[in-house]
Amino acid sequence: MRLAVFALALIVASPADALVVRDMTGREVALAAPPARIVSLVPSVTETIFALGGEARLAGRTDWCDSPPAARDKPSVGGMINPSLEAIATLKPDLVIATDEGNREETAVQLRRLGIPTYLVHAHRVAEMLDMIARLGALVERPDAVAPLVESIQARIDDVRRRVAGRRPPRVLYVLWPDPLIVPGRASHITELIDLAGGRSITATVGESYVRLSLEAAVARAPDVIILADHSKAGTAAGRQSPEKWQRLTSVPAIRDGRLHSIDLSILHRYGPRVAEGLELLARMLHPEAFQ
Amino acid sequence: MTDRRRLVVSLVVLAALLVAIACVALFVGGAGLSPRAVVRALTGSADAGSVESIITLGLRLPRVVVAALAGGALAVAGVAFQGLTRNPLAEPSVLGVTSGAAFGVVLAQIAGLGASVTDALAVAACAFGGALLAAVTVYAIARSPGGLVIQTLLLAGVIVGIFFSSAITVVISIVDVDRLGGVVHWLLGNLSPVPAGSLAVFAVLAAAGFGLVLASARELNLLALGEEAARQLGVDAERLKRRVFLAAALLTGTVVAFTGPIGFVGLVVPHVLRGVVGQDNRLLVPTAMLAGGAFLLAADTVARNVVAPAELSVGVISAFCGAPVFVWVLRSRARAAA
Repeated sequence: MRLAVFALALIVASPADALVVRDMTGREVALAAPPARIVSLVPSVTETIFALGGEARLAGRTDWCDSPPAARDKPSVGGMINPSLEAIATLKPDLVIATDEGNREETAVQLRRLGIPTYLVHAHRVAEMLDMIARLGALVERPDAVAPLVESIQARIDDVRRRVAGRRPPRVLYVLWPDPLIVPGRASHITELIDLAGGRSITATVGESYVRLSLEAAVARAPDVIILADHSKAGTAAGRQSPEKWQRLTSVPAIRDGRLHSIDLSILHRYGPRVAEGLELLARMLHPEAFQ
Repeated sequence: MTDRRRLVVSLVVLAALLVAIACVALFVGGAGLSPRAVVRALTGSADAGSVESIITLGLRLPRVVVAALAGGALAVAGVAFQGLTRNPLAEPSVLGVTSGAAFGVVLAQIAGLGASVTDALAVAACAFGGALLAAVTVYAIARSPGGLVIQTLLLAGVIVGIFFSSAITVVISIVDVDRLGGVVHWLLGNLSPVPAGSLAVFAVLAAAGFGLVLASARELNLLALGEEAARQLGVDAERLKRRVFLAAALLTGTVVAFTGPIGFVGLVVPHVLRGVVGQDNRLLVPTAMLAGGAFLLAADTVARNVVAPAELSVGVISAFCGAPVFVWVLRSRARAAA
């Protein structure tokens, strides 16, 4: 009986909430105090917290949070899809930050059930990413660090836009995964980045975030540039897409003109401070003449 | 020993086993809590917000309950299908019923059903529908004037299973890749703590299925003599089959809805139990409830700890145990028939 009452108390427990913030999905998150022990389940959030100088408050990360290198010194709680709830609880977090994109919704549900405040970020657009930086800056109480970081990112984005302005936009095929062929759709941030880099994604009108596409549909759209996402981790070739499959498609303009590129996934797909770096890489591939 | 005495002794022994495994499950895990900390949490002397309370009472205890419930329900579903088809190889995953239920759940997940109690009921309803559809299809394919031909039944189960797996593949091919990870994770069969309200739904549905099968146990014994003989002894065979089919599909569907497709529990547990308590379904059904719970709980405890801090899927462990048992039963039947 005592046990049952206790278990029930655990489920309905709500501490005296000194602070209520609204996360990026509009849900209210009640905090007893500004969080001092944060577990990040999102690589880009981990990067952003480091970039803001708030890493002292970071208590844990996922196996995927490998940047900056100092992030590896923080204890990991497992993968993004299947983090260990026991490992998270052991770190006694006063806030877990997750995303509505790469984590499972169930993880957030379980954490809230355990009484661990869970904040969801949602960043699919450059504007949302800048908003995320500001929100994280407030959470880790480094508001002064927000403006310099946001301004430097914005300046680099503006520079790219200036350089590619007025140039003819090439038709771009971005290959997230070759087999089955998975490409960014309308709601993907890659589609926006290609746009900012002065290109036109040939898959900008299909599906939602990421969709499967047939190879012939891709060929029929005659891409001028093909970009392969490189999933490999430092030092290994596993996860690197082989270019041979594409090089056989000699009728495709991109192959005919030798415009088949590979790009480091971890730079382009982390919606954090390195997004400007990813954008510059993309723009150099689409408009090399603009950077000479 | 009389049947009644044997039942009581078996139930007491199995209950003790279940409690013993539950204790082990509460004390081990990726967090590496000390036994003293776990005891503090269990006796309520630890603070509600402490790590040991959150892990022991919030994570491990609900998961132990889910494992015991799911394992028991799957084992009873196995006994029910075996009684219906008069074959020890019949089992929810072998008959394709698990795949049917999984298809129902994937549809519900794609439709955006979440974790609330009403959503849990809706997901369970979808799983039940899929399980029933698969079970009835397999039965219809395998049925012939001379009764059920076992080879046809097993092949029909394989085919229906493949069909529903393909249907799941179709659904996840067109769904947004972002949501794929969660669906694939679920398809491997994973136990996780279920919120209290949904757990109550789970328990009520499992109890309903269990009660239906238990109430049919005596008639299933008569059915074992053959349909004609059962009819002469006053059993309404068609009504009995409909009822047990419904119950077995309900049990399978409920488990799949809350844990994902977990195979072979309904094969291994009744097979071992028959060696201990015999063929009598009145003994098999209640003992299967406890033994199935103990088996899946043990499997989940292994799955949680063998590669800690990561976790294996419990469905993998149960399949590793179940596949050899399946082959063994198949071979010994082939020898007996020769």
